[in-house]
Amino acid sequence: MTFAFPLFLALALLLMRQNLFVILASVTTYCYLTLASEPLQGIVLDSWSALNKEILLSIPLYILAGNIMSRGAIASRLIRFMRAITDPIPGGLAIAAVLSCAVFSAVTGSGTVALVAIGAVMYPALIKSGYSKSFSIGTLCAAGTLGVIIPPSIPLILYGVMTRTNIAELFIAGIGPGLLLTGLMVIYAISSNLNLRLSPWSAKEILVSFLEGIWALLMPLIILGGIYSGWFTPTESAAVAVIYAFIVETIIYRELKLTDLMDVIVKTSRLLGSLFPVLIIAFSLNMFLTYQQVPEALVDWMGQFISTPNAMLLITNILLIVIGCLMDIGSAILILAPILQPIAASHNIDAIHFGVIMVVNLEIGYLTPPLGLNLIVAMGVFREQFWDICRAVIPFVSLMLLGLAVITFYPPLSGLFLER
Amino acid sequence: MEKKYNNFFQQCLYKLNSIEKFFSVIAFSLLVMIIFSDVLSRELTGAGLYWATQTGVWANVLIVMAGFGLASSDGAHLRPRFADSWLPDKWSSSLETLEHSFMSLFCAAAFWLAINVVLETRRLGEVSIDLFLPIWPIQLFLPIALAIAAFRHAIFAYIPSLRPKVNNLNSQPDRNVFQ
Repeated sequence: MTFAFPLFLALALLLMRQNLFVILASVTTYCYLTLASEPLQGIVLDSWSALNKEILLSIPLYILAGNIMSRGAIASRLIRFMRAITDPIPGGLAIAAVLSCAVFSAVTGSGTVALVAIGAVMYPALIKSGYSKSFSIGTLCAAGTLGVIIPPSIPLILYGVMTRTNIAELFIAGIGPGLLLTGLMVIYAISSNLNLRLSPWSAKEILVSFLEGIWALLMPLIILGGIYSGWFTPTESAAVAVIYAFIVETIIYRELKLTDLMDVIVKTSRLLGSLFPVLIIAFSLNMFLTYQQVPEALVDWMGQFISTPNAMLLITNILLIVIGCLMDIGSAILILAPILQPIAASHNIDAIHFGVIMVVNLEIGYLTPPLGLNLIVAMGVFREQFWDICRAVIPFVSLMLLGLAVITFYPPLSGLFLER
Repeated sequence: MEKKYNNFFQQCLYKLNSIEKFFSVIAFSLLVMIIFSDVLSRELTGAGLYWATQTGVWANVLIVMAGFGLASSDGAHLRPRFADSWLPDKWSSSLETLEHSFMSLFCAAAFWLAINVVLETRRLGEVSIDLFLPIWPIQLFLPIALAIAAFRHAIFAYIPSLRPKVNNLNSQPDRNVFQ
């Protein structure tokens, strides 16, 4: 009864269409009242202590930098450069789409915005060049998820906050898997389009497009280079990214006005206003459960059924893929990371490797019905039926599952750029 | 008479929204400038600004609390939607009223808890270790935001025409925060 009631409570609130913040806070309140008989002011105090943390400052700053950068014409600049370098390769335009999405989402921190911005330009171009509709939609939807793992990644920050794992190391660990998934999509694009007509390389076009897009291309280098070299903490690099994005968009590209900047800030604040309440309540619940030694009890209980690290990883992957079909990545990380990570640690699975596995798993959730975010957004961008889009992403979901298997069972990939 | 009330509450919501936007812009600008100044100061003079981090954290509290109101105002809070189709469509309107009524009561209860915590912090005279300033004025933004949310959702519950216009497709891109 003790554990069944919170589930019924959550279900009832779900049916009453309550926000995740209310559902989590209600469950937390129940736990405080029944499991520990603690005064409810404890929830507010825990929430305050969660909100009063320096580590959270990187989240608003990265989101603001991304929103500033995605306001201008960076997408078209990136596309022009990527097309210039991939034109002579079979499937070149599709490769350009994948690489544009990967770099754009690294710059803006948002794969969905990448799907909208790159997709709107590349979809008609892909169709005109003879690529099938299904392949074009699948490529753009799948490439739009790459921003989830390519740093700076908000899901990796959330995982780091909830499990007290080093965020800079998580960012660096995300590079290898990000490159692997991008590489798999590029290989598929080449192998599926060997019969399409090729264009010659133009050194002039490459140079011109590179100079036009260089400021956007430098952004991930500044963020990751700054962190990797030890110049900045993740929070400081996020502030530098905001100032850099502001200078690029207002002074160099001259595409952002002061009124636009106000809009961007308000939009970013609204996003934070929906994310942070969930984050601090999840943090509060996590502190309570830790104090009550629930993770330890869960580890002991799970130990009866799971005896090897590989079995643990397999079960985690299946669980997260199912969860990814039903929940958004942020909520899933906030709720599950503090529960699953101690179990993984009890099987000697590295916290950083496990974080990367979690994020890649939930990244696939963007392409799985019924609530895959990129599937829903693609309906609006490409004006196609939901199930047609679902069919189009099937080969790419298979590729990503293959990538997930490699990332899961070959830990050195996550540690490729880590100095340990 | 009813129209007059609706207009009054619409004006209230509009003004609250403007105030929240104003605070979010000021606090965000402050946050960026403080953290960037800290980096600049460290690189140029070899010493960072000791007060920068805590001030940045407090600016973030203000951003989040203003953002909480903006998210309520636009119906942009994170909400799992997979159970939406489990109940008949004809109940939608009643469910929306229930949704906002419950949220309003919830925020009112949370306000009561939060204001007690703030009063207790004030009574104990707690100060920030870095800034030597009392914490309670910043903590006060928590109950203020909750009170405003309770008021706003109560209006949404009883005046359906003032509810935020939300549909699944339009609300989704807001969640790009997680990518």
